[in-house]
Amino acid sequence: MNEFDGPITDFRALLHPMNRRRLLQGASVLAGAAALGVTATAPEPAYAQDKVLNLLSWPGHADPAVVKPFEDKYGVKVVAKEYVGGEPMLALMNQSPPGSFDVVLADAEYIHMLKEGGFIDKMNPADYPLADYWPEFQKFEPHWVGEDLYSVLIRFGYLGIAYRTDVLSEADVKSYKALWDPKIKGKLGFFDWYLPTMGCLSLYDGNKPPFDISDAAFGKLKETLFSLKPQTAGFYSMADQFSMLTNGTAAAIPGVGDWVVLLLQKSGVPVSATVPDEGGIQWTESMSIVSSSTKKDLAKAFIQYMSSPEGQVRSSIMPAYWASIPNKKGWELLNKDHQAEAKALRHTFDARNVMDEYKDGKIYIRKTPVQQSIEQWNDVWSEFKSM
Amino acid sequence: MSMAALRRLLLLAYTGVVFAFIFAPIVSTIVFSFNADRFPSLPWGGFSLQWYEAIFADATIQRGLINSLIVAGVTCVIATFLGFSAAYVDYRYRFLGKSVYLALAALPPTVPVVILGVALLTFEGRVGLSGTLPGIIVGHVVLSTPFAMALVRMRLADLDPDIERAAWNLGASPWATMFGVIVPFCAPAILAAIFLTAAVSFDEFMIAWFVSGVNETLPVRVLAMLQGQVSPRINAIGAIVFGVSITLIVLAQMLLGRMSGRAARKKG
Amino acid sequence: MSEPLPTPDTGTAPFTATSRRATAARFAMFWGAPPALWQAAFFLVPLGFLVAMTFWSVKSFRLTPDATLANWTFILNAGFFRNAYVYTFWLSALTAVIASVAAFPAAYTLAYKVSPATRRFMIFMLVVPFFTSYPVRIYSTQIFFSPQGIINTVLAPLGLGPLQVLNTPTGTVVGYLVLTLPLVVLLQTFALANVPRTLIEAAHNLGCGRFRTIGTVIIPSARIGLIVAGTFAFVLAFGDYVAPTYLGGSRPPTLSILIADQVKSGNNWPRASVVAVMMIVTLMVVMLVMIGLAYGRRKERP
Repeated sequence: MNEFDGPITDFRALLHPMNRRRLLQGASVLAGAAALGVTATAPEPAYAQDKVLNLLSWPGHADPAVVKPFEDKYGVKVVAKEYVGGEPMLALMNQSPPGSFDVVLADAEYIHMLKEGGFIDKMNPADYPLADYWPEFQKFEPHWVGEDLYSVLIRFGYLGIAYRTDVLSEADVKSYKALWDPKIKGKLGFFDWYLPTMGCLSLYDGNKPPFDISDAAFGKLKETLFSLKPQTAGFYSMADQFSMLTNGTAAAIPGVGDWVVLLLQKSGVPVSATVPDEGGIQWTESMSIVSSSTKKDLAKAFIQYMSSPEGQVRSSIMPAYWASIPNKKGWELLNKDHQAEAKALRHTFDARNVMDEYKDGKIYIRKTPVQQSIEQWNDVWSEFKSM
Repeated sequence: MSMAALRRLLLLAYTGVVFAFIFAPIVSTIVFSFNADRFPSLPWGGFSLQWYEAIFADATIQRGLINSLIVAGVTCVIATFLGFSAAYVDYRYRFLGKSVYLALAALPPTVPVVILGVALLTFEGRVGLSGTLPGIIVGHVVLSTPFAMALVRMRLADLDPDIERAAWNLGASPWATMFGVIVPFCAPAILAAIFLTAAVSFDEFMIAWFVSGVNETLPVRVLAMLQGQVSPRINAIGAIVFGVSITLIVLAQMLLGRMSGRAARKKG
Repeated sequence: MSEPLPTPDTGTAPFTATSRRATAARFAMFWGAPPALWQAAFFLVPLGFLVAMTFWSVKSFRLTPDATLANWTFILNAGFFRNAYVYTFWLSALTAVIASVAAFPAAYTLAYKVSPATRRFMIFMLVVPFFTSYPVRIYSTQIFFSPQGIINTVLAPLGLGPLQVLNTPTGTVVGYLVLTLPLVVLLQTFALANVPRTLIEAAHNLGCGRFRTIGTVIIPSARIGLIVAGTFAFVLAFGDYVAPTYLGGSRPPTLSILIADQVKSGNNWPRASVVAVMMIVTLMVVMLVMIGLAYGRRKERP
């Protein structure tokens, strides 16, 4: 009957310029008739075109505290669309009209999906200061497809348990067993995303690696998760974790780490984070150039800035949440300009630092489920939430 | 003290408590927007304007504000026109299916905005409107038209239908009557409707949340911040939105006040 | 919908009847058609889409038109949906009752115990919260009810508390009240103010006590407004996403959280649509019942 019929295999097909234009025409005729000449096609705001770099990222990455030097140098504004969780990021990439974003910041486990969806460009390793990175991150496996680079690591961190030190002691949280501790009954908060929490619990179950598990192990993981129900306080978005740990509604949150507690410690809240003996999960955030971008040079410049020592330092102490950085020269600059922060981040060269912890072999990279589908894990999470 | 006076005092005190409950969050929003501490807790951490400075320096927030102003500006014109039309049709005509007609015009606010948002996104995704400002405007017009309709209809209730009839019988065309009699009579209500619908649109976050895509409006930005990072910047934006909204409502109220004042004089 | 057939109830004009009729028809169409067209195109059609979508399927994040009942059977059989449905309905009904009861003395005061100027001002004040960023208000409510928040700081010296409100159903209800109470007070005040004074005075003259007057004269006379106010409270609470998320801690999730969850995790629009359709049907039934309650019994005693 018309071009809308037939299975839709790709959201972008819906946004074909022909359809859009036709509809906008129809809408403006209608609205024009309705509003006596006021059309529904709003004027294009002046900022819409050249002066903006559009970023799709986790919250806080376009904070002026992070991107100001870049904005000043290139005379542009960095504007972010923020998401929470990898699946919403994929949905936004799928649904947004081509050209909506120039740079996407994603977690490593989604890079391959973005590449397969044709959303991101191959990058030239020589464009970026990868040689300055810690050796472990110079050829970070999830970012490469064969010999081709698709993403540049910007920051990372470890996930274990975040807890209030006035409720639990350091000895308590040596094991994930602490999550079942009667002291925190009704005070166990959760980051409302299945992947990090279930990953940590999978480690507690003894699954190594935690995301590549058999259906039997998955069944056991489900039981482990469900047994935490009586402990539960609530399910939080990113921001709520900060508030709820601060006001004491939550005494512990599994599947999170330094990224939540460092800022709170700085404000004097009695919290800490640890990677228990069973192991922890590594999260990463890295930047790629979006294939449909019309400003790829600017996008490249932005990623160069973010991986440079200056961008790295500003990113590590970003106001939304802090993180570890992979660029050694960034570490040097951090130690020079922000000693207290470098210490809090365990980014000093003369003491045990985050790279030593990495070498301990307790840290597993976060991945999307291997033997089950994302939906299966998600459905378990939904069920758990409503128990 | 007499029983009656005591009773009145108790009732007034109770009413005070109810109003305190309603206004406590607003007051606290404003108070904590000036709090130096990042994470809200007691006691207060000292006076600071840094959060206001931060939002004025934030391109994403500026962009959200501009989008919100465009959306509210266009929405209020279309919604007021449609609301006026529907109210006039209700006032002037009787026809088969009028109750269906009026229900269609008046029902949208009874459907949860979450659902309106999902429905509009699925629909707009199919026709290429999603993620655009017109896409948000379309939804806001649907939601705010009934409010404009109610305001104009209340005003028309005070207009004697015989006046229009007389004008028609004297040979004036319906158009001349409309713009010579009806519209001038309704002018205060129309202006009030413009402010009210603009305020509804300016504050709406759920439809816009689903539909806006990359073109976030200010309330969507606030919701994103609420999810993403705790910061008194949320309070600072809230305080400013409060200021803008209250200005719009005061203007609408003044116009309505003038209108009812005039009506009272006319009757008296 | 068929176009409205204009029959202006004006006196028939004798001259140039045809051209006048044509003008009148065009005139009626100009004003009558746009609202109907707009709401049909951008309200009815999207809701129709929503219903159609419930029969579609999603395969690895991609939406495919289909004619499957799988979404319906999945959601209706899912324990989490049933829990959320019962929980949301119960909390919304509770909110409607609490808001109605809590608002009544205040509305009574505004309607009868203050000067008209004060009443106008208070009504104006009640409109203000509607345009004051509801999510921000909920966020600010957290500070009052947190374990070391304002309320518990006040209660502690009295030997009370600490109250656990955040991340409990109580928290959700508090949030619902922040949303609905201003509206309920407002609607009740209008309803009470419209009760004819003569009726109340007659009751007093007949020796009716205050509470009896309220119970036998005022409430029955204002019944429609009171029921409408309570119904609005239910409708608003039933669809709210913000309070159960930020005060209730999503524990357990309400239907609107379920919608958001289905969408954000796995892009499952069809399942979200099933939940949405169930919500609309529920709201329609509730509103019909309440309208029946408001207007129905009136006929019994004319």
